Amino acid sequence: MVEIRIHGRGGQGGVTLAKLLATSRFLKGQSVQAFGLYAAERSGAPVQAYCRFDDEEITNRNLIYEPDHVVVLDPTLVGPAILGGLKAGGWILLNTIATPESLSAEFPENRVATVDATAIARGHGLGTRSVPIVNTALAGAVAKLLDLPLEEILAALDHLGFGGGNVDAARDAYRLVAEHGPQREAGSRDGDARPGAIGRGPSFLAGAGGDLPGIKTGQWANEQPKRQQYVPPCNHVCPAGNDVQGFLHALAEHRVDDALEILLRTSPFPATCGRVCPAPCMASCNRIQLDGAVNVRELERYAGDKGEVKLVPAERREERVAVVGSGPAGLAAAYHLALYGYGVTLYEAGSELGGLLRTGIPEFRLPAAVLDRELDRVLDLGVEAVTGVFINRERLLELARNHDAVLVATGLQELRALRLGVGEVEMVSQGIDFLDQVRSGVPIRVDGEDVVVVGGGNTAMDAARTALRLGAASVRVVYRRTRKEMPAIAEEIEEALEEGVEIDFLTQPVAVQRMAQADGDTGEQHLACRRMELGEPDSSGRRRPVEVPDSEFSLPCHRVILALGQSPDLSVFPEGTEVREGAELLGLLETPVYAVGDLATNDGTVAAALGSGRRVAMHIHQTLTGEVVVSGEQTRVRSDVDVWHDEVIRDEALRMHLFERRPVESGEVIGLERRHTTFDEIHAGLPSAGEAKRCLSCGVCNECDICVTYCPEGVLKRVGHDLVFDYGYCKGCGICVTECPRNVVFMSHL
Amino acid sequence: MPVEVVTGNHAAGYALAVAGEANRFGRGAACGIYPITPQTEIVERVAAFPFTKGRVVPVESEHSAMGVSIGASLTGARAFTASSSNGLAYMVENIMTAGFYRLPIVMVAVNRTLGPPWNIWADQGDSLMLRDFPWVQLYCANNQEVADLTILAFRLAEDHRILLPTLVCLDAFIISHTQGETDLPEQEAVDRYLPPLDLPHRMRHDDPKTLGGLIWPDVTTSLRMEIHEAMQRVPEVYDECREAFREVFGREPGAALDAYETTDADTVLVASATVATTAREVVKRRRAAGEKIGLVKMRMFRPFPEAALREACASATRIGVLDRDYAAGLGGVWWQDSRAAFQGHRDDVILQDYLVGIGGGDVTPETVDRVLEDLAGRDRAGGPVWADVGNGKGGGA
Amino acid sequence: MSGTTETRNAAGPFSQIPQVPCTDDCLLRAGNTNCGGCGMSIALTMLGRALAEADDTCMLAIPACCGAVTAGAFPTTSYGVPTVCTTFGGVAAVASGMAAIRDLNEETGQVICWAGDGGTYDIGMATLSAAAERNDDILYICYDNEIYGNTGGQRSSATPPGARTTTTPTGKREEKKDIVGIMAAHGIPYAATLSIAHPEDFRQKLLTAFTTPGTKFLLIHSPCPTGWKAEPADSVQLVRIAVASGLFPLYEVFDGRRYRINVEPDWTDPADYFRRQRRFREDEVDLDTTRRVCRERYERIKHMAEAFPV
Repeated sequence: MVEIRIHGRGGQGGVTLAKLLATSRFLKGQSVQAFGLYAAERSGAPVQAYCRFDDEEITNRNLIYEPDHVVVLDPTLVGPAILGGLKAGGWILLNTIATPESLSAEFPENRVATVDATAIARGHGLGTRSVPIVNTALAGAVAKLLDLPLEEILAALDHLGFGGGNVDAARDAYRLVAEHGPQREAGSRDGDARPGAIGRGPSFLAGAGGDLPGIKTGQWANEQPKRQQYVPPCNHVCPAGNDVQGFLHALAEHRVDDALEILLRTSPFPATCGRVCPAPCMASCNRIQLDGAVNVRELERYAGDKGEVKLVPAERREERVAVVGSGPAGLAAAYHLALYGYGVTLYEAGSELGGLLRTGIPEFRLPAAVLDRELDRVLDLGVEAVTGVFINRERLLELARNHDAVLVATGLQELRALRLGVGEVEMVSQGIDFLDQVRSGVPIRVDGEDVVVVGGGNTAMDAARTALRLGAASVRVVYRRTRKEMPAIAEEIEEALEEGVEIDFLTQPVAVQRMAQADGDTGEQHLACRRMELGEPDSSGRRRPVEVPDSEFSLPCHRVILALGQSPDLSVFPEGTEVREGAELLGLLETPVYAVGDLATNDGTVAAALGSGRRVAMHIHQTLTGEVVVSGEQTRVRSDVDVWHDEVIRDEALRMHLFERRPVESGEVIGLERRHTTFDEIHAGLPSAGEAKRCLSCGVCNECDICVTYCPEGVLKRVGHDLVFDYGYCKGCGICVTECPRNVVFMSHL
Repeated sequence: MPVEVVTGNHAAGYALAVAGEANRFGRGAACGIYPITPQTEIVERVAAFPFTKGRVVPVESEHSAMGVSIGASLTGARAFTASSSNGLAYMVENIMTAGFYRLPIVMVAVNRTLGPPWNIWADQGDSLMLRDFPWVQLYCANNQEVADLTILAFRLAEDHRILLPTLVCLDAFIISHTQGETDLPEQEAVDRYLPPLDLPHRMRHDDPKTLGGLIWPDVTTSLRMEIHEAMQRVPEVYDECREAFREVFGREPGAALDAYETTDADTVLVASATVATTAREVVKRRRAAGEKIGLVKMRMFRPFPEAALREACASATRIGVLDRDYAAGLGGVWWQDSRAAFQGHRDDVILQDYLVGIGGGDVTPETVDRVLEDLAGRDRAGGPVWADVGNGKGGGA
Repeated sequence: MSGTTETRNAAGPFSQIPQVPCTDDCLLRAGNTNCGGCGMSIALTMLGRALAEADDTCMLAIPACCGAVTAGAFPTTSYGVPTVCTTFGGVAAVASGMAAIRDLNEETGQVICWAGDGGTYDIGMATLSAAAERNDDILYICYDNEIYGNTGGQRSSATPPGARTTTTPTGKREEKKDIVGIMAAHGIPYAATLSIAHPEDFRQKLLTAFTTPGTKFLLIHSPCPTGWKAEPADSVQLVRIAVASGLFPLYEVFDGRRYRINVEPDWTDPADYFRRQRRFREDEVDLDTTRRVCRERYERIKHMAEAFPV
């Protein structure tokens, strides 16, 4: 008589394996039995099945206590129970990827064989992913071990109506099973596979019936959920390094002050950026694939306008740092240095702080009061501001001698010009100057004029819209490239067009012309232009505009405003200095001098300048103290995340079908009819932070707790901010993975 | 309450109701009720009773009648119901549930022939089919016993040494619809006799337990042993209940069995319920004629009072068991258990089975005489004797 | 509240109930032997949370079904509340008795029947109907996995057309019994359908049921990965599709007369629902008929909701 015990899990097909083996012997004329130990076990629970066959009639109907061989369907079942009563020298067949040699030490008295029946079953599509049915594969392996011809197992499969993948699985396993002999000979050992002895048990009259089940169902699992985190695209692209997902999450939970606090870790100017940032975060937002980007810019403004945070700098340090230039980069650097505890003095050549934020952005986009409030945030940290002092090369050396570090954040001071010939002096002005004059109260009017603005950036848009508000009869922007290449914020272009600004793309101004009139009087003024087309890409990566031959035409024009961009003024540095962010300049002195912001990066956005200022401030702090500074960007403070991914998560990795569509919220905009007369801010801001709930929180747990809600066992819990999986009980069903909309949970094979 | 002339059903309904009412100081009383001839008057009487703290739930089937009573009992109420014949058969699943859950539910069963074909008259086959469940079974021979044993059954069932449901049986029509003088106990006395029910394993929020679920063979064995041990304690506790009954009501409710003229009897009849009362008339007459004949009147069927039966029959060598029931393929149920009671104890007894009054046939003294004649003429016991056949007592009007 | 992103079927505050350790006295304890991905387990967990939120308690009466097996082997139990496992067809009557004694003793707490579709649609129908007709104050919850799951997957009158079971080896032919229609026809104060894929709706309905006197009937579409031959991880998604496609409309009926639809189907194609379950074979499911039946069923309910609004 041969007796085989099969250890499996409910649903894996252990009883059927017993029947297959029995059938193969029955077909050879033997007497057989195959049976399961039936109880209430469900899919995944450890179960046993038995098979016995003999040439004589089998009359014994007991369980098998001392099997000749043991088959283990699931590698996680390997334990003392499988050895219970097993006869020395008998086979232990394990479904595992391990080699029999690696396991033989565990089973020194037995022959060990292994086969990866799970892979075979999955390969032939048997069962489900989480519960592959491995019995037919293992039947093939058993045949090999017991020296039975494979054909006898195939005959049994055929007899029982198994076809297709099952036959292939049996063949594969017959071929692939690996064997290893026993380490040593020995007698039988104590069996513990026998059910508990019959005796007096509990009585419900005596209060029994409430004990914990205590079944460690975690042993059923062959996969376990784990926590992971990706980088959301918005965080990845933010030039200021803002934790965009983080502050949106706080806003969505109505924690406005917390949202502001998160922003202030990386930027002193949320209210400002919330008005003027081109918001690359929005361009990268995965929600575009669903129903439009989250309106991050307006939400940042909301946090900046509505939040209140009392900043407390670190203990005051002895070291002093000078910052030259009070544009966004200089202010950001001063802000972060002050927070680190440094004494900071800010030197500004102009009469007011703010740099381009103050001079180059009109009131209707960034009210001065907003800027002033954010400046106060910096000054309130104890930053000293000196205005009206221009720092030349000599003064810079002096600052370096008097300070422990110097930052130069003078931005882009050289305005690009365009030769337009006669009439240039009266008719042509620089956009930056135009905007600054209007802002500072110079009584300029352009009533009835045809105004042409040259350029495609935000200054061009601002100048054009300002001209409209000053009474221009027409405002026309001419730009060499197409809409696609325009560096201005898309929304600002839209608004300018709404307000009546016209844009001529692929147009290059050539010269101002005065048309001579018949009566000899001063004639109409025109701007002669040429049509362009896009050629090969230039060094900026944008396609270079090329003149179209014989395409000259002219535009009526009383005034030309140039907004062609700026370049850095490097005269403060020694000749030949290579200026780049974080590089120490003036290396002859002990004191490090750094260039910051546009001066170093030529990036041109406020956000980039803020990021540059912060990074250099951190760098200085590290240099001066030797401390490793934890970035204000999203930090890996979560202890419950098992796997951190450095890559950005894209929409295809999210479960978009779990999100509900909801239109973007933009807030009120003042009426078009008023926009030609008022410099009032045109955006009213969002009335609430509800838009923040549209954030998908890509790849970052936002504690939506859908996984907790759906855990069938209730063993996935949120403890504080942590997700806690109780692997002692988790059956590994994977619902927490499929139901996580943002791909924060994944299944890990055991 | 003075002695009144009422039907057995009246007595049963009254007894169930006052027993339930007596638990108004506890968690109250409830029952599910469902009609079936010939017990309907019992549940009608219960439904009409003005309970202080009780609820009567008229349900859609016997199965649910016991279901409601189970639910009420589980939550600590005194619960009861009544049924008969096919109603009991339909209820069977919940009957055994009540037993396995050790719920002290009292049910009155009016013994009626199982069908189809439909026969509404007396036959014990319905309640005796429940013999293997964890229920105490008592059989009444008159209206007074119906009232008394029903009340006693609650005290017995609710005793913490027992905690088994109890079935009180009476013959269809012969008792259920027969008017007779009956002392219906006063509520005040019943209150004294039946203290509020304290079910140790009742469902309670402050100590959540699960009754049911699954059970392994070893624990099953253990719970069955517990039931057996409780069953073994029944005779002793029953006698305590009798004694208390006598104290409160001044009346003997009746022992597990009554031995009548058995002391020196060489021939003893074993019978239950109304058949026993008829047999008693015959025994009385024959004793007067000098025959050494006696009668054992069985009240308790479960647990089967084996020892008492052997003792009552100590001098007898011929024992005739009268069964108003038929277990297919074997014979009378009382006979089977009586025969088993002697097995291994005595081998000098001719113990013969007589099937009498099957399907409600009238069991007359003449029938009993024929039984005795047959018994006297035997030199060995045989298969069951269909004693009614040819007696002309089983036909219609 | 947490759970900031608005998702379909957002969990809302449902997951925010302070959770006692699952190994202790929560309604469904860890260590139970239900299959991984069991929809009934999710529903039980949600029930426990709703009770905690309502500061309410319950006693469970469970007929023969997977829910009874859930309890595990005596003397252990997976239920943290007083529980009785009843006979298959008798649960509603037992609950009626329990509720009667609760009321007689002026106690609180729900008496909840937790029953599968076999014990509800089939063997327990008469008993349930009687309890509903008496309007006994019980909460009857049927977790409908559309199969006799406990016995290994036989047809019930809740099995949908096309589904293969061990007793319908070539696919069932008949439609599901309209159990909510039947229960509503009793005029009970509250009958509703619930989906675990809509936890907030699920929660609201439980809270409504807890505070409604009389017989309440809730039907939960309860995925059974084993019986449906589907991936355990797909459990919630499957019943989500069922709601979206109109296979399992979510609605309420008050007093048997007034109707309310809770989730409008977006008429997602149900094909995916069938494809993901190996109990269905492509050639045994008539998708066109299914779509038509879904539409008609929904239109019927919608007409009722418009004609007899809550």
